[in-house]
Amino acid sequence: MGMQGDFLQLLKEQGYTLGAPTAVGTGHALTNATTILAFKYRDGVLVAGDRRATAGNMVMYDRTDKVLEIDPHSVMAIAGVPATAYEMVRILEHSFKYYRRTQLQELSFDGKLRAVSKLLKDNVPAALAGTGAVVPVFAGYDMEQGSAKIYFYDILGAEFEGVEYAVSGSGSPTIRGILHYLNTWGEQPLCALPEEQAMVQALRLLTSAAEFDSATGGVNREASLYPVIKLITGAGVQTVPDATLKPLYESQVVRYV
Amino acid sequence: MYEEPYRWVEAVGNRRQYLDEQFKQGSPVVALTYDGGILLTTVSKGTPKLYEIYDRLALGGMGHPTDLEKLRFSLLEMAHVEGFNRSPSDVTGSRLVKYGIAPVIKQAFEEVYKAPFIVRILVAELGQKPEKDALLTINYDGTFEETTGRAVLAATLAVQTKMMSYLKEQTPATLSLEQALDLALRTWAIGSLAHQQEETDQQAEAKPPTSGTGSSAVAILSSDTLIAHVRGIAGERTIECAVLDRQATGTSKYRSLRPTDLARLLPKAFQSVVAN
Repeated sequence: MGMQGDFLQLLKEQGYTLGAPTAVGTGHALTNATTILAFKYRDGVLVAGDRRATAGNMVMYDRTDKVLEIDPHSVMAIAGVPATAYEMVRILEHSFKYYRRTQLQELSFDGKLRAVSKLLKDNVPAALAGTGAVVPVFAGYDMEQGSAKIYFYDILGAEFEGVEYAVSGSGSPTIRGILHYLNTWGEQPLCALPEEQAMVQALRLLTSAAEFDSATGGVNREASLYPVIKLITGAGVQTVPDATLKPLYESQVVRYV
Repeated sequence: MYEEPYRWVEAVGNRRQYLDEQFKQGSPVVALTYDGGILLTTVSKGTPKLYEIYDRLALGGMGHPTDLEKLRFSLLEMAHVEGFNRSPSDVTGSRLVKYGIAPVIKQAFEEVYKAPFIVRILVAELGQKPEKDALLTINYDGTFEETTGRAVLAATLAVQTKMMSYLKEQTPATLSLEQALDLALRTWAIGSLAHQQEETDQQAEAKPPTSGTGSSAVAILSSDTLIAHVRGIAGERTIECAVLDRQATGTSKYRSLRPTDLARLLPKAFQSVVAN
């Protein structure tokens, strides 16, 4: 039955399975992607991620995009095994489009959250076997309610609302504390930050994460590599260009001591 | 009784007659390429007739809503599964039509014990480059045609020819979206008037439906008459327009034009149509 507009169901009918449990072999270091964060600021949500992917103690790739646009109003940031995460993003992207085109209406924000949970639940065997754990942060703009929202998940698919902020990945313990401190005792709470200040904070947070976590890549100015920062507002998702981040980083993040 | 070849041919012939009859009340569909993409236009009553199929694919249809829905779903399923398993660039209108729905439609048409699909379908595909834009039309018997630039769906072949020759005559070298809309609506009116003409011809003289009578009368109709016809009908029906917009940001290029867009884009003569 294709009438429900469920793309994952359609794939399954054709024999597709996500996350088959495979025992992880010894001597293979799996690729992992690392620090991601999302917080609400004055105009919506900011979602950011560093760009490093590691396999064991080796840097696999320095231009990973972990903040992926799923549709014009939602973004999924990924930490964990990129192979599985990218597959999930592709399924979600097709699911939301398929729903919209078959049912002739947009999938509700809650429906989108549920779709993420379902994928994670299907992926539990692989996550537990150690080959495909993904811990995403899902952020978007709920057009019906006119508000920005952040959700984070555990590897089993439980969904938690991040009322003010959410973090995930190996570098996240470092910045979780900073976010709490900033939000509680900072000059103003995160949700009152104007756009530029929000971007500065995101750059500082990721730089801090890179300071204490070898699997997180900070800013590499020589190679002009900046984190990926996306802003989601009522007008949609907007990727902040490096040309905007560069001066902010140089004037407000770097300290010469 | 259909086991004998003659009977079968006769049965298929009857089927054609029956199906031709079904499209009489239908509303024509016009597809045109303009400088920024492809425009699809029709005037619908109740159920919509223009749909999004994939990132660069749109569908226009005539016929029974349920049959159209069935085929729309198979197109959507095929397109999305293919786009996921391979890549969005491998989803092409021509593959979906030739290997996907056309054989299904043909089979249903020739299995005389079963119900045929009462549909005529138009698939528009926005290419990566304008030269790659394609328009495909499929008839109820599964025959399909691939064209570029312009395509129409209408109740009979005669009406279709009339609309196409009007389009050919009127299309300048390049069209803006505004010009394309104007031309598409006038062409729609040509088709709609020709449908009416055939109806009255048939009632008056009981002629076969493909009769050429009245073709010359329609061909020389002025723009004013055509606009008046659209105006007269727009009260109880809705003008439905959709574009595959090459400039659209993001992967989905399909956008249906809302009444506010139409009010902005339509030439003055048509403005009162949208006000309804």
